[in-house]
Amino acid sequence: MVKIDAIVRPNKFESVKSALIQLGVEGMTVSEVRGHGRQKGHTEVFKGREYSVDLLPKIKMELVLAEDLVDDAIDTILTTAYTGSIGDGKIFVYDLKDVIRIRSRERGKVAI
Amino acid sequence: MKSIMRQRESLSFAEKLTRLSGRLRDPEWRKYGATLLTGKMAGVASTLLIMAAVTGIFFSKVLAADSTVKAADVVNPVNTAWALIAAFLVFGMQVGFTMLEAGFCRSRETVNVLMECIVDTCLCGILFYAIGFAFMFSHGNGFIGYHWFFLQGAPETYESTGVAFLAVWIFQFAFADTCSTITSGAMIGRTGFVGDLIYSLGVSGFIYPIIGHWAWGPDGFLATMGASGYFLPTLGMSFHDFAGSTVVHTIGGFIALAGSIVLGPRLGRKFKRDGGGPMLPHDLTIAASGGLILWFGWYGFNPGSTLSAMDIAGIGRVSANTTLAACAAGLTAMMYAYIVSKKWDVGFTVNGFLAGLVAITCPCYWVSPTGAIALGGIAGVVVCLGVELLEWLRIDDPIGAVPVHGICGIWGTLSLGLFACGKYGATGPLGPDNSAPLTGLLYGGGLTVLKAQFIGSAIITCSTFAVAMVLMWAVNLTGTLRVSEEGELYGLDLHEHGISAYPEYVISSLAAPAGMPADLTVGQPQGHGVGKLVTE
Repeated sequence: MVKIDAIVRPNKFESVKSALIQLGVEGMTVSEVRGHGRQKGHTEVFKGREYSVDLLPKIKMELVLAEDLVDDAIDTILTTAYTGSIGDGKIFVYDLKDVIRIRSRERGKVAI
Repeated sequence: MKSIMRQRESLSFAEKLTRLSGRLRDPEWRKYGATLLTGKMAGVASTLLIMAAVTGIFFSKVLAADSTVKAADVVNPVNTAWALIAAFLVFGMQVGFTMLEAGFCRSRETVNVLMECIVDTCLCGILFYAIGFAFMFSHGNGFIGYHWFFLQGAPETYESTGVAFLAVWIFQFAFADTCSTITSGAMIGRTGFVGDLIYSLGVSGFIYPIIGHWAWGPDGFLATMGASGYFLPTLGMSFHDFAGSTVVHTIGGFIALAGSIVLGPRLGRKFKRDGGGPMLPHDLTIAASGGLILWFGWYGFNPGSTLSAMDIAGIGRVSANTTLAACAAGLTAMMYAYIVSKKWDVGFTVNGFLAGLVAITCPCYWVSPTGAIALGGIAGVVVCLGVELLEWLRIDDPIGAVPVHGICGIWGTLSLGLFACGKYGATGPLGPDNSAPLTGLLYGGGLTVLKAQFIGSAIITCSTFAVAMVLMWAVNLTGTLRVSEEGELYGLDLHEHGISAYPEYVISSLAAPAGMPADLTVGQPQGHGVGKLVTE
């Protein structure tokens, strides 16, 4: 079992989500996060004074998948979340130790 | 005849004349014509008869005016109603101030701003009833009034205005409330609530009424100055402040300045010259909407100061001037911000139109609409420069209260000396009295008005600032003026008021309604199925 964290632009999130559901991904956890990469944000001006905007809003999707779905899911995310500009986001892939469904206490692949 | 009537071709005018002369010679046509004419005459006559009959039945009672209009019957009620409508509009400015201040501060001090605005209003009402109105508007000497404490022994109408006494009281209370709210503007984010109560006592009870008496009291020394037997008899001109650029706004602004100097900046505030940026506002929707509500309330502030609906030219002109000054100032402030930062800045624009309104408040009765646009446009730039000045002096003014009210209040007062157009003199309960119009420098009136304005503004500004510094310093000595450091970092809302402005997003545990027990199974009957166990 594999966990994928995908950090994507907020305005790309809907297309990523529908593409993943079409692919067969059955569950996800989504949070609104802020962060930056190598560019470290930019400066704005308010009332004549400059201030730095170095934490930009993004959407983080956490997906738990069986091995056979992982490559397809990653390809889907790469295609739908891409714009070509700085700030497209990142995907992190982890090995997952166990998955447990709370209602039925099922463990393992059955619980995904 | 029939053959002629069946004719379908259209005839020219000459042909029609020929046809007419032909018909007149025909006896049948003559009878037909006579009948037609008689019928038309009868129709006209009966119409006129019906009109006369209807008029006679329904409109014979005409409401004729009395030969002498008694002031007490009509004029005083009209003027009192006008004064009250204006008073309610000015009170509506409290909503505007609350929204403006709350919007420009951070969310962690919002409840503190709301409480201060509400409580300042309540305190001001009681103080103005007890001593404020007495100090400010009763007879006494040039510095202070000493009648009508607790509104005792008051006449039915106020002085020569003919307006009901208590209506004038509430109208002036609304002005006092405005001044009191301005003072808290520059001090938000780090003022202790008890300190705010104490200094508000001083402002609403003493500073505003007493200094205001000098300009607006019936025997105030600035109001009567320039005549023989009074202050500066050779000046030949008294101090004029129609609706309070100086009395309300400069006084409020400079008390705010004293307060923010004594308090010091908010923790973590870095100024522009030290490389810092702004502390960002938390809700610009509320801030901008509050500004517009203030503009709306200003339509009571300025035109209402005639206390006379009979001066129709006056109230119309004042309303128009108020509008135009605000419009011009908003635009020039916005342009200044764009030139300086390449952004269409909302903070400067809102402060801009407010500055225009403050500036027009003094001269609104005596300038032309063109003059209003000019002095408003200048105010829009002055306020932006004022914001930069305070930033450079390392004075933390979160909403720009000092540049908007203090500095543009001075500009508005002085601008009367330039822009008074020489046509308007004084308002009155039965109509205007333009026998001694005010003429400013730009209309050939020389420096007289400008000198009087400068003297009045300087005296009031300096005395206000001096007294306010003493007051703030004294309150600071009691230790209540500034909150503790932990309190300020924790957030004034939670520290002083026990709740945040947005508790759902800030402090309650997600999804648990406040007040529910932490353990949700407590009190539930045992054995309720939670789902069967699934064994592998």
